[in-house]
Amino acid sequence: MGRELVTGNHAAGHALAAAGEANRFARGCCGGAYPITPQTEIIELLRGFTFTKGRIVPVESEHSAMGACIGASLNGARAFTASSSNGLAYMAENVFAAGYYRLPIVMIAVNRTLGPPWNIWVDQGDSLMLRDAPWMQFYTGSHQDLVDTILLAFRVAEDARILLPAMVAMDGFVTSHTQMGVNLPEQALVDRFLPPCSIPHRLNTAHPTTIGGLTWPKETERHRRDIEDAMQRVPDVWREAADEFSSVFGRRPDGPIVAEGAEDADVVLVACNTMVQTARRAIQKRREAGQRIGLVKLKMFRPFPRELLRRTLGRVPRIGVLDRNHSPGSGGIFAQELAASLQGRSDCLLQDYIVGIGGGDVTPEVIDEILDDLLRRKTAEAPVWKEVAA
Amino acid sequence: MTEITIQGRGGQGGVTLAKLIATAYFLQEKHVQAFGVYAAERSGAPVQAYVRIDDQEIINHNAIQSPDHLIVLDRTLVSPVLTGGLKEAGWIVLNTSETPGGVGSAFAGRNVATIDATRIALANGLGTRAVPIVNTTIFGAVARVLGLSFEQVEGTLRSLKFVGANVEACRAAFEDVQTAHLSGHATSAVPPKAGGRAAGLFDETVGERPRILTGTWANRQPQRQSLTPPCNHVCPAGNDVRGFIHAAGKHNDDEALRTLLRTSPFPSVCGRVCPAPCMEACNRQYFDSAINVRELERHVGDHGRRPPPTKPFRAERVAIIGSGPAGLSAAFTLAKLGYQVTVLESQDELGGLLRTGIPSYRLPRDVLDREIQYILDHGVRAECGQRVDRERLLTLSREFDAVFVATGLQELQSLNLHGQPGVVVQGIEFLDRVRRGLERLEGMHVVVVGGGNTAVDAARSARRIGAAEVRIVYRRTRKEMPAIQEEIAEAIDEGIGLDELVAPLRVRWDGVGPLLTCQRMRLGEPDESGRRRPIPDEGEDAQFDLRCDRVILALGQSADISILPEGSEIHEGTDLLGLTSAPVFACGDFASNDGTVAAAIGGGRRSGWHVHRTLTGEDLFPPPEAPLAGPDAVITHLFSHRPRSEGDTLPASLRRRSFVEVRRGFAAGTERLAASEAKRCFSCGVCNECDRCVDHCPEGIMVRNGDGCGYHFDENYCKGCGVCAAECPRGVIFMAEL
Repeated sequence: MGRELVTGNHAAGHALAAAGEANRFARGCCGGAYPITPQTEIIELLRGFTFTKGRIVPVESEHSAMGACIGASLNGARAFTASSSNGLAYMAENVFAAGYYRLPIVMIAVNRTLGPPWNIWVDQGDSLMLRDAPWMQFYTGSHQDLVDTILLAFRVAEDARILLPAMVAMDGFVTSHTQMGVNLPEQALVDRFLPPCSIPHRLNTAHPTTIGGLTWPKETERHRRDIEDAMQRVPDVWREAADEFSSVFGRRPDGPIVAEGAEDADVVLVACNTMVQTARRAIQKRREAGQRIGLVKLKMFRPFPRELLRRTLGRVPRIGVLDRNHSPGSGGIFAQELAASLQGRSDCLLQDYIVGIGGGDVTPEVIDEILDDLLRRKTAEAPVWKEVAA
Repeated sequence: MTEITIQGRGGQGGVTLAKLIATAYFLQEKHVQAFGVYAAERSGAPVQAYVRIDDQEIINHNAIQSPDHLIVLDRTLVSPVLTGGLKEAGWIVLNTSETPGGVGSAFAGRNVATIDATRIALANGLGTRAVPIVNTTIFGAVARVLGLSFEQVEGTLRSLKFVGANVEACRAAFEDVQTAHLSGHATSAVPPKAGGRAAGLFDETVGERPRILTGTWANRQPQRQSLTPPCNHVCPAGNDVRGFIHAAGKHNDDEALRTLLRTSPFPSVCGRVCPAPCMEACNRQYFDSAINVRELERHVGDHGRRPPPTKPFRAERVAIIGSGPAGLSAAFTLAKLGYQVTVLESQDELGGLLRTGIPSYRLPRDVLDREIQYILDHGVRAECGQRVDRERLLTLSREFDAVFVATGLQELQSLNLHGQPGVVVQGIEFLDRVRRGLERLEGMHVVVVGGGNTAVDAARSARRIGAAEVRIVYRRTRKEMPAIQEEIAEAIDEGIGLDELVAPLRVRWDGVGPLLTCQRMRLGEPDESGRRRPIPDEGEDAQFDLRCDRVILALGQSADISILPEGSEIHEGTDLLGLTSAPVFACGDFASNDGTVAAAIGGGRRSGWHVHRTLTGEDLFPPPEAPLAGPDAVITHLFSHRPRSEGDTLPASLRRRSFVEVRRGFAAGTERLAASEAKRCFSCGVCNECDRCVDHCPEGIMVRNGDGCGYHFDENYCKGCGVCAAECPRGVIFMAEL
């Protein structure tokens, strides 16, 4: 398709459609469709797409949208959907079910603040609400990162060593409704990159089995351990898939984390989604002025890339985490996870900044103020609330 | 990097304009970014869109604070805040009919380009006057000042599939844009942001109306209209059917009766004898079943309290010839207007056909007497036994200020059956004789000819005074009979035979007694009345005999115009004699031959208004009727199905030999039944203050004024969303373009 000027939603929709279409020689594809701002354009685009083998099923709620995906996936179809905010909350029961059924469903989460009070703009509270679900989670920044991650998510999710669903998040409006140039994948290349979806435990009348029936603690322990083991295999499988992606598409996709100048830095900022890019702009100037400031983009959140982060940030004395989310009574979620990864390091100052909640505009100036604070402070404190919208 | 800010209003296409500009540079291999600020997704709301253009990859995603260029799609958005942060060397592109020099001091020291994009867009049919879509038009002007060629502009439009009018409008703007550098010093101070903490959920200010008057975004607002409900539209008496039912639904039978008495003195009568075209027109029949209007009118007429009668206060005197429903309706109308009314009746009691032609098992005498007495209580004088001929009419026209002829239909249609006198009688005369106790038919065979109410009344009366066998013969089928269908069913219940498609030929005598020879018919092509014309059947059995001791003819009546000078033309409301001394009017069946009590009531009232207008110049006629509220005006899925409440009926076994009233109305002591039936009314096209608009207004600005006083809304905050109009169950609210 070449390079197109499209919104993030349309870029994601194209990627889902191409992935679904790529399974036309196997058991086709199926999408459960229910609209919610700011995800609606994805659903609209998919509904307008003519699949050779497969269909988009309009349903009456997010809960049923995931239900449709579960049913389709259990029958061997490549299944996908998209949602946001309170829609994800309503879907939650089936989100867990999809993972516990070990179904490689891919869902786009267009991040939007949970209400009430009603708010349509971005923060990551909605997808992070589901962090304890048996799903992989990827947070994307640029339109290209979004498209590439969606294709990789299918590949990794369907890998026989993984068989777990994957959630790909983007910023509501800031990504979803912004038009930017992006290389949309050619169908022939997607066909090459995504092998036919094969679900070993798919329903088959020739071999009737019960899936998801009552189990004793013994079987449940095993089931949960299997999921954890699969999660631990994800980074390796991802690396293989990324190599394959590079050879097929001729470009290197972003890795689970992207570190820029972090190894020898005095200060590193950790962020996700489009805040990473805005922070990069602020940091560029400081680096040009001789300050040793690094940046880490956290793409893979589940499984949490503990090893990678420990290796990258092992000697950095000051780390600031930009959390566009808030776990009440605890603080920013990325900061907590990162602190747990770096446990045992007493020489590191790790400060959490809660910023851009409810879609507040995070400008390069805001990042500058955060860096000033981080460089100045003697000790880490309780999460700093950086209210940018006032 | 070049940054552009677009200020516009929702619906003008600002976000698409951003994409157009971005695409123009994207096609030149530049890195671009285009995005809007999404919030008030409402037509007319101020919205911003942004474009970034760069040779390098664009990485930041925040809103633009200090744009290089500013595009303003709506002149009313111009304010000092708009230029805050704007870089000095860039362009301000303004959609306005003014020249750059005429846009005022706000843009001093700036490069200003103006284009009348609204005019160009509308001339090319883009958008509406309220919301012209100016994006493709103004793109032409922007492209020109940014130094793009029109080939590049065309390529951009083509790649986004804009063709035709969009391209033409764009070309016009590309060519027409005017530019100037305004003198003076540019100011680009960024106005300070509002300080202080934002309101939390528990602050008192939360939930207050916004300081922005969101109503200024509206391009349409709700308005209310009253449509004509179908029941009101078809009522020959001109009753406010919906209005009285609305009052009855509020358990206010007195108010319901007052509503009916505005147009008719006979609610109790009509509630018994009206064929109720309102029920045939009722929109609810398409949902479950029509409202039981007739039974409700009877209930209200029988149970509502009549207001104290007024007395004449005018000097003018009016004579009314005939005391049937038309004459008495005219008398009632004029008496309430204060006239001194004298009714002249040839019979010895008032009521005309209501008394002589309708049997008491349908219309009990005390019910009729009560309603007539109420008319007389208004100071109406009645003189019975006064037959008026042509001579007398002329005398009256000199003695009174106005004279009505409301003598109804005295001329009876006949049919020569060659029978002996006494065997063949007229239905109307028969009914009158029955009423006076002068008829006995013990053990007789009776044949009634006709299909109207008189035929059915005569048949059922014959049954009640002892006839052994009663048959109705009708030349069409039951479906075509003009009689009230329920009455036909009741007659059959009472054991009366109905011979459809049969016409009488002659009466003959076979030595035992009289026989009526009949002809079987079939239906042919429709005649001018739209009904299929009966034509004689052929064949052996096409003729047959019915044993008959009595043949009763009920074939209809016509007006006896012998009272009038020869050559008079009868039209309702015209002066029959053209006299200067006193106008003479015809009314009721005499004038219009509609043949129903309700039509006579309506005719009588309108004639009264004619007189009033002639004598005083005051016009009481209602304005032209509002458009009809058809079935489509009602959102029926907002209602629940509920069966119709029916009145009680005397069992057939008890009524065969009795003149006791057959229909008993809603069971005694069940006012709730009437109110509950009345509440089934959809109130088609007329607001009944159901409050659904209040409940569904997303802004919470629709306010009830108090019972019976309608609603108002706060125009300052009505964005014109149209939810109230979409939710109005009865088509009253509509959205009017501003």
